[in-house]
This record gives sequence, C-alpha cells and structure tokens, in this order.
Amino acid sequence: MKIRYISTLLLIFLSIVGSSCKKLVQVSAPTTAVTGNSVYNSDATAIAVLTGLYSKISASSTTSIGTLPSLSLFTSLSSDELTLWGGSTNRTAIAYYQNALGSGVSGIGSEYWAGFYSYVFVCNDAIQNLNNSTGLTPSIKKQLLGEALFMRAFCYFYLVNLFGDVALSTTSDYKTNALLGRSSVDKVYQQIIEDLKQGESLLSITYTDATLQTPSSERLRPTKWSAAALLARTYLYYRDWANAEAQASIVLTNTSLFGLSPLETTFLKASLGNNEAIWQLQPVNNGWNTEDAKAFIMTSAGPGQAFDFGAYLSDTLLNSFEENDQRRFNRNWIDSISVGGTTYFFPYKYKINTSDGPVNEYLTILRLGEQYLIRAEARAQQGNLSGAASDLNMVRARAGLGSTSATSQSDLLSAILHERQVEMFTELGQRWLDLKRTGTVDNIMDKVTPQKSGGGQWKSYQQLYPVSFSDIQADQNLSQNPGYN
Amino acid sequence: MEISNLGKGFCCHVQKHPPIQLLRVMKLTALLLTVVCLQAGATGYSQTVSLKAKGLPLNAVFASIEKQTGLSFFFNYALIKNTKPVTLDVQDISIDDALNLILKGEGLDFYRTGKTIFIVKGQATSSSPVAVNSLTDGPDAGEVNIKGRVINHLGESLPSASVAVRNGKSTLTNEKGEFELRKVPVGSILVISYLGYQKKQVEVEGTSPIFVQLNLAENQLDEAHVIAYGQTTQRLSTSNITLVKGKDIDMQPINNPLLALEGRVPGLFITPANGLPGGGVQVRIQGQNSIGNGNEPLYIVDGVPYPMHTLTTTYLGPLGSSNAAFSGVGNPFSFLNPADIESVEVLKDADATAIYGSRAANGAILITTKKGKAGKSKATFNAQQGWGKVPRRLSLMNNFQYLEMQHEALRNDGIDMSSPYYPYFYDVNGVWDTTRYTDWQKTLIGGTSQYTNINGSVAGGNAITQYFIGGTYHRESSIFPGDNHDIKGSVHFNLNTLSSDQKLRVQLSGSYLVDNNKLPSLDLTGSALSLAPDAPALYNSDGSLNWQLDPTGAATWVNPLSQLYRIYNSRTNNLIGNGNISYSILPGLDLKANLGYNTLRTNETIKVSLQAFDPPSQLAYGTKARSASYSYSTIESWIAEPQLTYNLPVKNNKLGFLIGSTIQQSNSNGFSLSGGGFNSDALLDDIHSAATVSLGPSTHSIYKYNALFGRINFNHSDKYILNLSARRDGSSRFGPSSQFHSFYSAGAAWLFSEEELFKGKHSFLSFGKIRGSYGTTGNDQIQEYQYMNLYDTYNTGTPYQQTTGLLPSGIPNPHLQWEETKKIQAGVELGFVENKIFLVVNYTHNQSSNQLLSLALPSIAGFSSVPANLPAKVQNTGIEMSISTINVKTQSFSWNTNFNLTIPRNKLLAYYGTLPLNLVIGQPLNIVKAFRFAGVDPGTGLYQFYDNHGDLTQNPSFLNDRSQVVNVGPRFYGGIQNSLRYKWFQLDFLFQFVKQTGANYIFGQAYPGFPMLNQPTYVLNRWQKPGDVKSIERYNSALVDLTSSYANAIASDAGYSDASFIRLKNVFLSFEVPQKVLRNIHSQGLKIFLQGQNLLTITSFKGLDPETGSLGLPLLRVITAGLQIEF
Repeated sequence: MKIRYISTLLLIFLSIVGSSCKKLVQVSAPTTAVTGNSVYNSDATAIAVLTGLYSKISASSTTSIGTLPSLSLFTSLSSDELTLWGGSTNRTAIAYYQNALGSGVSGIGSEYWAGFYSYVFVCNDAIQNLNNSTGLTPSIKKQLLGEALFMRAFCYFYLVNLFGDVALSTTSDYKTNALLGRSSVDKVYQQIIEDLKQGESLLSITYTDATLQTPSSERLRPTKWSAAALLARTYLYYRDWANAEAQASIVLTNTSLFGLSPLETTFLKASLGNNEAIWQLQPVNNGWNTEDAKAFIMTSAGPGQAFDFGAYLSDTLLNSFEENDQRRFNRNWIDSISVGGTTYFFPYKYKINTSDGPVNEYLTILRLGEQYLIRAEARAQQGNLSGAASDLNMVRARAGLGSTSATSQSDLLSAILHERQVEMFTELGQRWLDLKRTGTVDNIMDKVTPQKSGGGQWKSYQQLYPVSFSDIQADQNLSQNPGYN
Repeated sequence: MEISNLGKGFCCHVQKHPPIQLLRVMKLTALLLTVVCLQAGATGYSQTVSLKAKGLPLNAVFASIEKQTGLSFFFNYALIKNTKPVTLDVQDISIDDALNLILKGEGLDFYRTGKTIFIVKGQATSSSPVAVNSLTDGPDAGEVNIKGRVINHLGESLPSASVAVRNGKSTLTNEKGEFELRKVPVGSILVISYLGYQKKQVEVEGTSPIFVQLNLAENQLDEAHVIAYGQTTQRLSTSNITLVKGKDIDMQPINNPLLALEGRVPGLFITPANGLPGGGVQVRIQGQNSIGNGNEPLYIVDGVPYPMHTLTTTYLGPLGSSNAAFSGVGNPFSFLNPADIESVEVLKDADATAIYGSRAANGAILITTKKGKAGKSKATFNAQQGWGKVPRRLSLMNNFQYLEMQHEALRNDGIDMSSPYYPYFYDVNGVWDTTRYTDWQKTLIGGTSQYTNINGSVAGGNAITQYFIGGTYHRESSIFPGDNHDIKGSVHFNLNTLSSDQKLRVQLSGSYLVDNNKLPSLDLTGSALSLAPDAPALYNSDGSLNWQLDPTGAATWVNPLSQLYRIYNSRTNNLIGNGNISYSILPGLDLKANLGYNTLRTNETIKVSLQAFDPPSQLAYGTKARSASYSYSTIESWIAEPQLTYNLPVKNNKLGFLIGSTIQQSNSNGFSLSGGGFNSDALLDDIHSAATVSLGPSTHSIYKYNALFGRINFNHSDKYILNLSARRDGSSRFGPSSQFHSFYSAGAAWLFSEEELFKGKHSFLSFGKIRGSYGTTGNDQIQEYQYMNLYDTYNTGTPYQQTTGLLPSGIPNPHLQWEETKKIQAGVELGFVENKIFLVVNYTHNQSSNQLLSLALPSIAGFSSVPANLPAKVQNTGIEMSISTINVKTQSFSWNTNFNLTIPRNKLLAYYGTLPLNLVIGQPLNIVKAFRFAGVDPGTGLYQFYDNHGDLTQNPSFLNDRSQVVNVGPRFYGGIQNSLRYKWFQLDFLFQFVKQTGANYIFGQAYPGFPMLNQPTYVLNRWQKPGDVKSIERYNSALVDLTSSYANAIASDAGYSDASFIRLKNVFLSFEVPQKVLRNIHSQGLKIFLQGQNLLTITSFKGLDPETGSLGLPLLRVITAGLQIEF
C-alpha cells in the first residue's frame, strides 16, 4: 500500500514538474531588440532595417576608415587629391597616403573590405528575408527589395574597384560565406548589373519618407533614378558605352525632377531647391551637418590642431583647375586658410561644420553632374562627339567656364577625365577609381607618389588595396592580392 | 506526550496536542551523552529513602526522592497527570521498594539507568507509545516486540530517525519520534542514528519501551553540513566539500564575506581587485575551466541562487571588476552582510555539484544564514571600531634623485634652455619649486580609514517556533583624502515554525541591505606612485585646489585631488527573501519546496563638478563643464524548487531518494543617461537640471532556467556509501535544438575504518575513508540571446527620416550548447588518535570541453565571429590537502591547528582555429607571453631583447618574438590557522601563503626621465655611458620617444617576477569576562576582542601588493577593537 501510495505521488509530482520544461526555458526577444522572424513581417520594422543601414553609414565619421563616407578622405589620400600634413602621426592615414599598405594582423589597407562586407551582410539578409516574407504590403516589399538590391550593388561596385576580384557573397549564411573564394571582376560586374536592373524595376519613381508611401521633398532613399544613375556609372566602368548612355539618359531626361544646381547649392538638401541630388544621406549626428564638413574644413589654427585630421588639397589638384573655374575660387567648392605664411586649401563643398543651427547640407552620394559626365564619356566613346561635348559643356557652364576646346575623340575623352577630376574631387573616391579604370593610374602615380612625404616609388600593384590578412587566415579559399605578401 | 523533569521543580505546561516540548536538561547533560537504556526493575541500588507524604502530588514525591538521593526522574507529564495524590510514611527503604509503593495501582512502571529513573506506563495496562496494530503474530522465543521513542538534545522528538537492529530489520521514527520493531532477538543491538547527531547503540534486553536521546554531534565528522538539496556529514559524505563556519568569518574585519574565505579553503583561490571597500573579488574553484566565458562558481544563499556578477554598467568606477567576461564593477557579495552568515560550504567535485547541473561547472558556494534556536531568548550586541592603513610603501625617488634623473635625461637628449620643449618641463624649469618635496604616497594613500561595525541580534524561540532578527550598521571610510566612505545598513530575519501535528515545517528568511559607496572616480594609487616629488602644493592658501598656473596662465599639472570633484557613487539595495516549506507525508517521505526571491538594484553616478577642471578650462567651458552620468541596473530573480525526498532504512542500509525540479528566472534591466551643462554642483544629482541630456545604452534580458533532478543515496552500515545524481537542465541561453542537456555523477565512499580488520587493532587510526567521484557539470555563463537572430535598435542623435533603424546584432548560432566539465576526484580522509589529527587529501582531475568561444569568420560573412562551441579543451588537475589537529585539549587550555595546501595545475590541451595571442597549447590559460629581456644594450643604453631566433633586437615583434611563457597563476597556495584558548582568552591567527609570479613595478609607469613623472628607486640602476651594464635604460626626456622601448620592457619576462607572499591574514584575540562577574550586569556573556586583517606580509614582490598587483590600492591593514555582549 505504502509503495503504491508513494509511486502515485511520485507520478503526480513528476507530471507536474516535468510537463512544461520547454515552455519554462523559452524566452522572447529582449525588449531592446526584434527577432529576425518578426522583423520582416511588419512594414515598419522591415523598413527600419534599410533605414538602419542608411543611418549607420550616415553616422560614420569621414575620418573613420572603412566606412563609406571615409572614401572621400582615404582614397583621396591614396590618389593625387590630398596632401597629408607632415606632422600627422595617424599611421593609417600615412599608410594610405604613401601607398604603403601592407598585410598582417595589424596591417593597414583592408578596412574597406570589412566595412563594405558588413553592409553587404545587411543587404543579403534583407534580400533573403524579404523574398520569403508574406506579411508585407506588396508595394513596400517591392521598394525594400529594390533598396536592398541597390545597396548590395553599390557596395560591390566599391569592393570590386578597390580590391579587384572579390568574394561574391549573396547570402547571409556564414557557413557559405566563410568558404568563399574570389570571383572575377567580370562576374562581380555582372552581379552588380543584375542587381541594379532588378532594383530599377522594383524601386519607386517618387522619393518618399520612411513610410515609403508618403512623398517626400528630400531624396533620402534610393529610387528608380538612383538605380539608373548607378547603373550608368557601372556600365561606364564596364565599358558598355551604349547602356551607360541609355541609363544616364533615363535620369537626365527627367527634367521635372533633376537639373544642375548653382555651385553654392549643389550640396544642400533637396528640399532647399537642390534638384541635382539623386540620392543623399541625411546627417544623423545630433545637431551636426555633414561629417565631410567636419573632416575637411580647417580651423584658423592650421593643420594638426585639435580635431583636425591634417589633410588638405594637393597642389596637383589645385593646379588642374582652369583659370576662372568658379569651383576653385570665391569659396565655392574650395576654401583656404593661411597659417604661418603657408596657405592651406581644403574642400569646401560642404560648408557647415558647427553643431548648432539648422541642418541644411546632406551628404550627396549620387548627383546629376556626374551623370552628364558619364553620358559625355559614353557618347565620346561611341563617336558621338558633339553629344559628348554638349554634356561636358553643361558641367563646365555651371562652373563658369566656356565650352570645351576639344574636338577629337581622344582630346574629348581627356577633357572629360579632367572635368571629372575638378568636378568630382574628394567625392567618395571618384578620382582614385577614375585613375584605375582609365589605366592612367601608373602614369600619374609614378609622378605623384614620390612627391608625397615618405612616398617612395609607386608600384603598380598598389592600385589594389590588400585583402585582410585575418580573412585569408579564416577563409582557406581566399587569396591575397599580388604584391602584398 | 511530554517529558518533564522535576529536579528543579520545573514542570512543563500541558498541551492537548503536545508533540515535542522543550525539555529542560538539567544536571544530566553529561549522563545523557551516553546511551540511555532502560531496564525494568532496576536492581542493586542500595541507597535508601525516607518519605513522609500526605496527599502530595506525585511529582512532589519524586522531587523529594531526588533531593535525598541525587537521582533524577524523567517522565512524561501526561502520565502522572491523573495520578492520585500520594499518602505515605516510610523510613529507610530502598528506592525500588519506595517506588513500587508509590506507583502501585497507577499503571506505571519505572526503570533506572545510572542516576536516572524513568517513569513509564506499566506493561500490563499501558498501550504502547506507538499505535500498535493488532498483533498478527507474536514474537517467537528469544524475540521481543520493542517500542520506543527518540528525542534530541532539546527533548524534541526526532521524526525520521533511523532505528536499526544490527544486521537485521530497521525502521524510522514517526513524527512523534516513536518507533516500533517486531520480533527482535533479545540481546541484539539497536543502532539509532540521525544526521548531525551522535549515533547511539542500545542492547535489546526485554520488551520495555526504549527511550533514546541523541545529542548533537560536536566533532567535525558528524556535524550536519548543508549540501545541494539536503544535508550530510563529513563522515558520510562522498564529496569534496569544505566548510567554513560563521565564527571564522566573524573574526575578520572585512566588507565582503568572500574575502573571509581566503586561505581557508583548499581548491579555492580568491583574488581581490583592490583594497577599496566594495571592490571586485575574483573567485576560482579548482582553477579556470572556461577559456572565453564565465568561470564564476554558483552561489546559493539559503537555497536560492545569488547573482554571480553585478550588471554591466556604463560607468566604470574605481571598484574593479570581479570577472573578465562581464564588465560589471564590484562584487555582488559586498551586499551580503558577513555577520548574517552561519556557515559557508564550498562544493568542488562533480558528486557535490552535478545536481546543480549546468550552473556548477565552476563549483558552488553555499551560504547559510543565521537562524534562531529553541531556548531562552538571547540578545547579542556587537560593536567594533577600527582603523585601516596601506600596509606597504614603494621606495620612490626623492627630490634629489628625481631632479638628477630629469637633468640627466635632458642632457642625454641634448635639450638646453632654448629648446621649445623646455618651457613645458615645469618640474625642472623653475615653474615648480624644486626644493619642495611631497611624499605623495603619504599624501594621497597614507590616510587612515575608519572601520565601524555595529551589529545586534535577538534570537530565540521554543520547540514550535524559532526566530532570529539582526541588524547591522557598517561604515568604512577610504584612505584617500576627502570625505569618501562606504556605509551599509542591513536587517536580517529568520523564522522557523512547525505545525501542531509536526508534519508541516515552514522557514522564512529575509534580508535587506542598503549600501552607499562614495569614492573618487579614479583610484589615486597610480598618482601616488607617479607624481613628481617636486610637484606643487595641493591647495592654495585660500583652500582652493592649486593648479600652479604657468606664466601664460595654463595649468602645469593635473591636481590629483581634482578627482575628489569627480565623485563616483554607487547606491545599492539588496533584498533577499526566501521560504522553505516541507510537509512530512509519511515517516521518511517529505514534500518540500524552496522559494526564493532576490532583487539587487544599483544606481551609479559619476558627478563632475566645475572644480575638477583647471581655471582656464573652467573659464572656457563654463557651465558646460559640469556633467553627470547615471546608470540604473536591477537584477531580479526568483526560484521555485519543489522536491520530494524519501528516506528508508532497509535492514542495515539506508536508502535516500530525492527528486525535484527547479524553475528559475532572472531579469536584468539597466539603462544609463548623462547630462551636461548644470548650473550648480548642487544640482548634479538631478538630471532635470541638465542643459543637455543624452541617453546611453539600455539592457533588458531575461534568463530562464528549468531542471529536473534526482539523487539516490545508498548507505550500507555507514561503511559503504554510494551517491548517484542526475540532472536534466534547460537554459534559455541556448536555442531550441540544444536547450536541454543531462548531467550526472556518481560518488562512492568506503569507510574502511569501520571494517573489523581495522577496528581495535589499529587504534592509532580512528577514522579512515576513501572516496571518489566522477561526473559531468556544465556551464551556460554566456550572454543571453546569442542563439537568437536579433535586430537591435540603431539609434542616432537625429533619427534618419524621423525613424530609428534596426540592424542585425550579430550572426546567431542556433546550435549553441553547453560547455561541459568532466570531473574525476579521489580523496582520502584519515583520523588519528581519536581524530585529534585529521587529514584530508584530494586529487582532482577536471576537463572542460565544448568550449563556448567565438569562431573567427572572414569579414565576408558580415561579422568577424560567430559564437560557437569549439572543441577546445582545458584541464585542471590539483592536489588539495588539509590537516587539522587538536594539539592540546584540557579544561583550561586548548590549541587547534588547521593547515591547508593546494597545488593546482591548469593546462590548455587543445584549441580549434587560430590560437588567441595569449594562449599556448600545453600551458595554463593564465599565462603571459613575454619578450625575452636581454638587458640594456651597453652601446646605446636602450633595452634589447632576444627575438625568436635568439638574436638581439631593440624592436621585437609582438607577433613573433614573445618567446617566453610566464605563468601568472598560483603555483601553490594555502593557509595555516591556529586557535588557542586559555581560560577566558582566545587567540586565532591565520597565515595565508601563495606561490606565484606577477607583474612587477621595476620599470615604473613610463620610461625613465619621462617629464614630470616619478619612478621607483629600482630605476636608479640606469645606463649612463657606453660600456655600462645596467638593468635600466638611459634616462630620456620627451624629445626621443622611448615609449615603445619601455612598453617592450614591461611586456618582457623582466616585467614579471616573484609575487609570492606569506600574509598574516587575520588575528583574533578575545577575552571573555567570567560568568561570576557578569551576574551583576545580568549578562549571559561579555567578550572584548581585537581583530586584525592583513597585519603582516612577507614577500619579495617588487610592487605595492603581491595580491592585488602593482597599481591598484593594496589591501588595507585593518585593526579593530570591539566588544560583544549577550543578554
């Protein structure tokens, strides 16, 4: 009897304590976060992921290596646009400036590799989850998928141009990614083009706010026009001239939305009447305008003082400007200070570097001026010299310059490249990338590098940045760029 | 049933449901230590009595007999309640005859043992003390049915005590302590035992009831110990457990009870972060098991888990961290009052801890708080006051040596008066008065701290209900200048009660502690060692801080006392409440539940006043300079543990079963914010007064834990013991596919001294036990939610398009699972000469695998790592030894010695993937890879090192040339404690010893000659000219940067040296005022005592404190005096 009594009791006890074990250790996501499953099942949280990516990029300081905004500083140091102050002790800046990047655990040069792949991860994750998602408003899902594809293409555009063959990750699965080898430049371009074409078809034709439904007077999210603009640039780099022209034309012919702005308003936010912007990033650091202004505008104390990075415009660049080029003068896009008898010129595209006052300048990622130059080059390459000249002259006219004197195809192409140098300077690496894609890098850097303090001899392999040493260790299929060993 | 005693005319009141009553133990104490065996019709006692009574109550007659004979009566009051008054007149008849006369017709009988007479119900008329079922079969010839009752030292009945016929049947007592055994052969031996009490043996001689009183075991072998979900004794334990008693904690003037364990427990190594009140304390039981995650033991206070670390805070104050994996500062045990602790058990092996499963891979520390005891109410008041000092000074350069160094440095670098640097060398260029000398160690850390502890408690109760209420006020000031102090106030209560049918027991306890710790936000010890001896005065004549402005109006130094205007304040409330409820269903079968709740709430602030800045900055920043940061964190946890235990005797064996479940949850919440631009220092506590406010990170996490556990204990004749336990654990820190895991252990002990072979013949050996255990435990001390695919809010100052973003927080690993530690331990326990010498030796062999680490990923994967279980393996082996001896034990003088020694070995056996920079396969985890120092190059006067080829270099590569492995873990450690008592004097002292290597201070805080920075006098032995062979490089001013040369030197093997020490950790001296003096003041006890902590340190360490390292505040030497009075 006793035994039966006890065993019954035991059974009851066990069934009470053992019944709900699973439930007792299940927790929901912390209140500070949202789980992956639910993020892509509601419009607001799904939108917030892409918004998060733009916020993260926009929050990055221009002086913080490896981030998108910092391309304006570090690739310009690598190229012939900037001079680094002799007293700088910033090892990273010195290495980029002297084209003396190296590998090794603490080696400098692979920061953009890690930086851009961290953006790619967010895009891959979003593309995968958006494709599988069923809970979103169709128009919003379409736009978000377009944004994610656009952003992925944007990242790969820089990766392939900075590093050459890169690992082509299109999934968020770390097991796949950890074993990726490098894909050819060609293959990467095909992926970029594919993503952008798809993005172009998915993205909205109107600029909206963060609901993706209400039109906005700002241009803070990628649209069909952004995709076309980037596609135009990609085709240009890919030497598909016809398509480059066609895509640039899609943007350029939309005159109701886009037009060249006067020099002093080119980098204002769109709502202040700046129709040149195709895609901008809103500054997100409390009270500040762009990080670019913070990084470049030099105080009266001169380079090397507190908060000053110590980089200013090189003589090479300054000497490239034609006389009367309004971009160079009248504090339009370049300003200067004199300290101890030396005058330092610095980029002044973004002019507000205080934390008080209204935020009027937004970081411009894609703008119409570049599209004219893209189409000019594409047309010149296809033999449409007058068309090319007319596009080129649009940009020159805005800078207060007369029509180009170039008439032959090669002169025109040189004139366009020169125009790109003085129009797009310190804008997200345009010059560094131009030098490489046009094959002029060795010629120019052979002269420029030795002039840099501690620069030494330029070596052709230096046009590609090194892949991170730790990545090569962690991924057995990954190899280093030649020259860095 | 009541038992009363008449000796003092005392008689218990009557109760209808009278279970256990308080039994007054009179002069019989000594007698009752032995078996009480009753025999019917005691004979052979020749003493006679004379009685003259007329209508006297029976108990009065007994009293008269007691008075005449010195004998004592024991009886159940209920038995004589209804007896007729006695009328009688006899002269000089034997006691037997007298009692026969007196008890005639009352149905009572008597038995006598020694000097005690027990009155029981007569055989013929009584019912037995146990409700007897109808006898189906009577005893055979030579057999009897016996009944009896077992009581404890207080006279309370002992339910579930084991009563066994040696080599025969056995039973348990019921809730009234009664038992019955049938058909027991006459002459057989009954063994009556109960955990924590001295076992007794009684010979069965007849059919009469057997009364047995068991006394508390007072030897260390048989005292009850708390273990996981139960109790055991050292004698019967199959585990490696060490007990530290509350009285050993009470002897030490400390602010964290963990510090009281230092040097007392083999296998337990404690490292204080610094000597600040409330500082961090690192605790390691049997070494470091986990490479990347928590190595904290499981803490259980009264059955309820206690937080093992404080919550991650944004504002790192000066307290120092207790652990590497979490950044919380201080230690949660700073918020548990040491005076509330009754005992601490340190559980080390798998047998002891596997039943805690996942939480106890790093061992467990069980803390039991003080409880009330039945008896007269006792009020205790304890007050002590003391003083603390930094016990050791470093030899630093004086003015002459210092100025010589700086001038030599300037000469070496060719700097003259016209150098553009010269105006900044205030220490030598005339801006500072070079004749002024300040001993900064004396000025900044040479103060005396005040230690005050006042503690009072009231405890008492009866057999039904016992209570304990205590309160403590504790104040400790710091040795820094200024008004910094840590104040704690706490209350603790405990209540035990029992239902009238003896079946339901309820125990409630709670404690609440408030701590307010105020310190400078930076430990000033670093400044005390590095400020130039000719640095300016701290204060101006008007009492304001002196910044010694240079001619341009710039401050020439950072006044160290500006830290007093950057105040760190931590305010903590700790509430612990728990209840234990048990219900006895049948004898031996109990249903229990532990319920517990704990909230640890900490508010930290750092307040920066305007005076923290030099005058030019004050002008420049204005009110913007005033700022304050606040962080709020709460850890709230609760636990419920229903359990079912069943103990049954089977012949000579005892079988114990336990099955239970744990449901536990812990919520951690924290957030922080900071404000700037306050108008006044007085407003710094009010965030609302800030001009600008910014929010810091917030954390919210929930940990849930659920388990099912069981244990079987099999004990054969107290000779062979087998203990099996198992646990199935689920933790919310792991994903659904691997949330649950099973852990198990087996432990066995053989008390070979119980074997006939060893009995008698080897009387030198009084106790011998061999035990061993094997088992698995786990570790889930990782951050929450790592398996989850989470998107964190991405917050920026200005939201992008007026919305906040979400970004993936990392790469989740849904397959994360438990780290596992397999433990093999073997031990021998030997007692010699009646256990006056007691030796315990343990060998431990633990291996931890499936380590929770980060798997490095290429950045292509989006993040640099993913949390993963890697097949890395860590081994901890060790020998732990303790010897306790009773050297002298007489009435007036006793002397005990306890010695313990641990020799640990930690080794990384395997690793997966790229080894982290500071790990080497085959070496301990606790190593530093260092350059091989090659002294100073006689040519250049700069440090040189051997590279990995053995060639000399001045620029060794951090990656390739760190060829030396320096083990900074302890090589061996232990302690030796002596307790002496002579009459009213008691003296206890504990020496702690550690053999280890640590980072020294021979190279100072920067290269020698660094402007405005003082150096230890070791640095005097420097290179001066080519050809010099010296240990310190050339003095060098700021013109040539020798920072990397210096950094390489401190990262070389020369930067590490012997940090072993022998420390007189604790001395306790007390004088107990004799009782006869006390009677006048109605006190039960009055003790005057002196306590000393860290009194003396013997070490060759080249630095301030071998225990806390070079730069933190050393452990203070604290001496207190106090008194304790009891009423």
